[in-house]
Amino acid sequence: MNMTTPIEPREFKIVGKSVKRDDVLEKVTGEAQYTGDIKLPGMLHGKIKRAAIAHARIKSIDVSKALAYPGVKAVLTHETVPRVLHYGSPHPRSASCTKDQYILDDKVRFWGEGVAAVAAISEEIADEALDLIEVEYEALPAVFEPEDAAQPGAPLIHDVGPGGNLVLDPVRVNRGDVDKGFAEADFVLEGTFAGGRPHPAYMEPNVCVADWDGSNKLTFWTSTQTSFMVRGILAEVLGLPLTKVRVLVDHMGGGFGAKQDLFQHEFLCALLAKETRRPVKMEFTRHETFVAGRSRHPCKIWLKQGFKNDGTLVARDMKLVYDSGAYGSHGPGVTIVGTTAATSLYRCENVRLEGRCVYTNTPINGAFRGYGVVQSYYALDIQMDEAAERLGMDPAELKLKNVVRAGDIAPSGHPIIGHGLEICLQHGIDVLDWKALWNRDRTPDPKRPHIRTGWGIGCEMHGSSAYPGIKEQGNATVKVNEDGTVTLLTGAAGLGTGAHTALAQIVAEELGVRFEDVGVIHGDTDVVPWDIGAFASHTTYLVGTAAKMAAGKVRAAVLARAAMKLQVAPEEIDLSEGKVFLIAEPDRCMTVSEAMGPSRGIPAANIVANGTYEPTKSYSFAAHFTEVDVDTETGLVEVKRVVPVHDVGRVIHPIAAQGQIEGGIQQGIGHTLTEDYVIDKKTGRSLNAGLVDYKMPLSMDMPDIETIILEAAPDPGGPWGAKGVGEDPIIAIGPSIANAIHDAIGVRFHHYPITPEDILKALREKGA
Amino acid sequence: MRRFDYHRAETLEHASRLLAELGDDTFLFNGGTDLLVEIRERLRRVRNVVDIKQIPGLSDITYDETRGLTFGALVTVGRLERLPLVCQRYPNLRAAFASLGSIQVRNRATVVGNICRASPSADTIPPLVADGAFVHIYSRTNMRVVPIAEFFTGPGRTVLAKGEIVTGITVPPAGDTAGKAYIKHGRRKAMELSTVGVAVSLSMEEGVCCDIRIALGAVGATVLRAPQAEAMLRGTRLDASAVRSAADKAMEECTPISNVRASADYRRDMVGVLTGRAIKQALETFA
Ligand SMILES: Cc1cc2nc3c(=O)[nH]c(=O)nc-3n(C[C@H](O)[C@H](O)[C@H](O)COP(=O)(O)OP(=O)(O)OC[C@H]3O[C@@H](n4cnc5c(N)ncnc54)[C@H](O)[C@@H]3O)c2cc1C
Repeated sequence: MNMTTPIEPREFKIVGKSVKRDDVLEKVTGEAQYTGDIKLPGMLHGKIKRAAIAHARIKSIDVSKALAYPGVKAVLTHETVPRVLHYGSPHPRSASCTKDQYILDDKVRFWGEGVAAVAAISEEIADEALDLIEVEYEALPAVFEPEDAAQPGAPLIHDVGPGGNLVLDPVRVNRGDVDKGFAEADFVLEGTFAGGRPHPAYMEPNVCVADWDGSNKLTFWTSTQTSFMVRGILAEVLGLPLTKVRVLVDHMGGGFGAKQDLFQHEFLCALLAKETRRPVKMEFTRHETFVAGRSRHPCKIWLKQGFKNDGTLVARDMKLVYDSGAYGSHGPGVTIVGTTAATSLYRCENVRLEGRCVYTNTPINGAFRGYGVVQSYYALDIQMDEAAERLGMDPAELKLKNVVRAGDIAPSGHPIIGHGLEICLQHGIDVLDWKALWNRDRTPDPKRPHIRTGWGIGCEMHGSSAYPGIKEQGNATVKVNEDGTVTLLTGAAGLGTGAHTALAQIVAEELGVRFEDVGVIHGDTDVVPWDIGAFASHTTYLVGTAAKMAAGKVRAAVLARAAMKLQVAPEEIDLSEGKVFLIAEPDRCMTVSEAMGPSRGIPAANIVANGTYEPTKSYSFAAHFTEVDVDTETGLVEVKRVVPVHDVGRVIHPIAAQGQIEGGIQQGIGHTLTEDYVIDKKTGRSLNAGLVDYKMPLSMDMPDIETIILEAAPDPGGPWGAKGVGEDPIIAIGPSIANAIHDAIGVRFHHYPITPEDILKALREKGA
Repeated sequence: MRRFDYHRAETLEHASRLLAELGDDTFLFNGGTDLLVEIRERLRRVRNVVDIKQIPGLSDITYDETRGLTFGALVTVGRLERLPLVCQRYPNLRAAFASLGSIQVRNRATVVGNICRASPSADTIPPLVADGAFVHIYSRTNMRVVPIAEFFTGPGRTVLAKGEIVTGITVPPAGDTAGKAYIKHGRRKAMELSTVGVAVSLSMEEGVCCDIRIALGAVGATVLRAPQAEAMLRGTRLDASAVRSAADKAMEECTPISNVRASADYRRDMVGVLTGRAIKQALETFA
C-alpha cells in the first residue's frame, strides 16, 4: 500500500522532541546486555581456522592433532558440514542476491576465509588448537583487481553465476538519446574515478551464541541487523522448520549495513553446538571483523557528460565496476542501486549507464551505509564542479540549476513526492553567504603561508527502503495493558541508532499516551512480528508507519471501550496524554487504565492490533558545505567546518537525527581522507586489518559541524511525513571535501581516500 | 588471548632472578600497554610475565640543576606530562608525552617501557636522544649507565642482557640557552603512531648555535641522529637558508622504509619539512 493521503497538520506532543532514549541508563552504567556478555552453563568457545592463501583447492585437512588437544570438543571441516549452496545476503523477496556460498568449501577464494572450526572449553584452547590443524593447499592463480578478473581467460572464482567472474549480468539503464545529447553539447567532460575499500569498523565485533535444547530446537543469539533473515537461512541450510530456530538480538554495537549478511561463523557456531550438545560462543577478533566482515565495494567509474554553455546537462554516459570480493553478498543490490542512482541527483534527460560487479580473490564486500551511491555520486558531484570551473561559474549556482526537483522521476522509477535538494542547497547558500565566501580573497595567511583554505559543496539524495529491488514490508504489534501502559512488539533491530525510541514516540503520539508508558519488545523472532531487517534507512519510515497504523487501531479500540464505560458515543470522546475525555466536556474523563481495567463484572480489556505496511520509497536530500585546510608541505588535509543541510521530512527525534548526520560525516571524512582497507595486490593478504593502521578519524579529528535539518519536503509514506536519515549523511561529505581541496590548491582528485602523499605528488606535478 | 603465567617481583634482585630462572619467553611487565597488546595480537610469544610495579624505589622523580631530571622505571607518561617542570623546561618531552596514545594509555604506559620496547616510531625516544639522556641499568652483578643513543641495537632490540632491568632515565638539565622541540607527524591528532617524528634540542649563544642535536623517529631501524645536518648548523645563526640545507641533509641521512602507513619517499620528505619546523619551533623559546 502506498499512502497518498496528505500530511495532516497537527500539534505534536512527543514527536519532534528529543525524549530520553529508553536505553541510555543501561548503556552508560554498562548494564546493557550485548551478545558477547552471554555466558551459559557449559558453554564452549568456537574459533575459525583461516586460510593464509588467496585462491586454492584444499587437498587435505588433518584435524587429528587438534581433536586430541586437551579441552577441544569438536572440529569441523568441509568434509563434516552439510554442503548446501546458499545466499550470503538472504534478502527475502529480492532478486538481488547470489547463491554462491557453502558453509565450508573445498576451495578457498580469499586470504582469511574460514576452512575449519574448533570448539573448546576456552577461547585460548580453541585458538591454540587452530595451529594444530594441518591444511594442504593446491594454489590456484588469483586475481585481485576487477580489471584482471574480467579479462577473458582469467581464473574463475565461482562456477555459478553468469561467468567471466561477473556476479550478475551487467545492469543497464537507458533514458532518452545519449548520442543526440552529446551531439548537441557545447562541451564534454570525461574522467575516471576510483573509490577505495572503507570498512565500517562497528564497535561490537561480530558475535553469536548457539544453544540446542532437548527438542532439537536452536536458540541463537547474534549481533545482526536482520534476525529474521538469519532465522530463515539457518533453518533452510540446517533443514529445520522455522519453529525450531529462534534468533535473539538485544543491544548491538553498530552494524552500518555490514551485519545484514549470513556469516560463515554463524552456521559453524550452530553446527559446533549441535555436534557437542553444548552451547557455543563465537566472537570475532578485530582482525576478523576486517577479513571476515564486510567492507564497501571499491569502484572504478568512467563518466562522460555533455553540457550546454548555459550549464544545462544534456548527456550522461557512465560505466561503473564494483569489486565484490570473493562472494556476491550485496554485490547485486549495490550495483543496481549505485548505478540507477546516477539517473538522478543532477537532472539529465539522456542517460546511459552500465554497472558491473566482479568477483576478485579479496575479502567480501557487502552492504555499508550509502550502498553503492557513495561511489557514483562522488563522480557526479566532482564532475559537476569541473563543469562549473570550465564555465567560470560558481559551483553552487550550477548545482542549483541542475539539481533534481519537483516532477523529476526517482532512480527507483517512481515519482518523488517531497523534493528537498533545491531547498537544502539554497538554504546553505543563504546561511553561509556562499557568494561572498566563494568570491573571497584567496591569498594565504602570511602567518601560515603553507596552508591553503578551500570550500566545497556536495549534494546527495538517498531512498528510504530498498524498493523496487525489494518489496518491503513493515510490521508492528501494539498491545494496551490493563494499567494503561502500552507494549510495542517490533522485529526492527536496535543497532544503536535509537530506532526503538523513535518507534515508541510514534506509538505514544498516535495513541495518545505518555512516551514513558510505552515499552518496546524487540529482537526475539519467536515473539515479535516478522521483520525485514534494519537497513536501507527505512526503520522510522517503514516500521514507524506500521507502528502508527497499529497504534491507530488500538486507539480506536480504547476509545470504544471508554465510550462504553462512559456511556457516550466514541465520536464524542478523545484521547490524549493517557486520558480519555469528552470533547465537549473535558472534565468528564477517565484514564486509559480505568478504561482498560475490570469493573462491575466486566473483565479487563485485551486490546492488541497489528499494523502491516508495504511502502514504495521516499527520498531524503542533503547539501554539505565544507571548509578544509590543506598543508602544502605535508599534504595533510584538515576538515575545519561542515555545514550539512538535510531534508529528512518530519523529524521524530531531533538529537538522534543530528547524531546520525554527525556520525555519517565522521565516517565520510574517514573514507575520503584516511580510511582504506588495503589488500596486498600480489598475495591477497590484508595489510591493515586492525585499528592501528586502519585510520578512522576520532573525536579529536572532528570539525565543527553545524547541522541544519529542514522539514521542507515530507513524504506522506512515512509517519507524519518522516523519511530516512541513516545513510544520507555519508554520501555528500566526500565530494564536498574533494571539491574543497580543489578550491584550496587547484588540484582535482577523482579518487578516495585522498592521502597526503597524493596531495604532495599532485602539487609537484602542478608546479612542474 | 594466549595463556601466560604471572609473577610478581618484590625487589629488583627478585625480578632479575625470575627472568633468569624462568627462561626464554619471560618478560618484564610494566604498564603492559605494549606487552599485553602483543600477547593478545599474537605478536610475541610469552610464557611468563614478571610484574615490576610493586618494586619499591622505582617511582621517584627528581630534578637538580647539575644532574638534571631523573625518573624511575615505573613513572608513567601521564605523570610526567602533567609535571610543571616538564612543561616549562622540556617542551620537547612534554610534546612527546602529550602525543602518546590517549589519556587512558598515558596513565598506564611508562617512559621506560616505551624505550625498552625500542620501536623506531616510539614518541619519547627522539626527544630523549636529542637531549642526550642516560639509561640506568640494573643487573645482579653490577649497575651500568648507557647513553640513550647507544641503548638501541635494532627495531625492538636493545643492549639489555638477560636479567638486566632498566631502573630509570636521566635527562641532562635544561639550561636557559636551550631550545627544544618535538614534532610528531601522523594522520590523526590523537591515538596515532608516528609516521615520522623529529626532535631538535639546541643551544644558542649570542645568536649563534653552539650545539644542536636532531633525532629522527620512524625513519630507520632505530631512532637516528642526523650528524651531518647538525654539523652544518653548528656555528651558524640558524638562518632560513642554513636550516633549509641542513633539512635537505637530514633527508639524506635517514633510511626510511615503505609500509602501509607511508612510503619511504614521503617519510623522507617529512624529515625535511619537520626538521625545518622543529628548529623554528625550538628557536621560539628565545623569542
Ligand atoms: C592504544 C595505544 C596507543 C599507543 N600510542 C602510542 C604512541 O602514540 N606513541 C608511542 O610511542 N607508543 C604508543 N603506544 C605504545 C605504548 O603505550 C608505549 O610503548 C608505552 O610507553 C610502553 O610502556 P609500558 O609501561 O606499558 O610497557 P610494557 O608494555 O609493560 O613493556 C614494554 C616492553 O618493555 C619491557 N620493559 C618494561 N619495563 C622494563 C624495564 N624496567 N626494564 C627492561 N625492560 C622493560 C617489557 O618487558 C616489554 O618488552 C600505544 C599503546 C597503546 C595500547
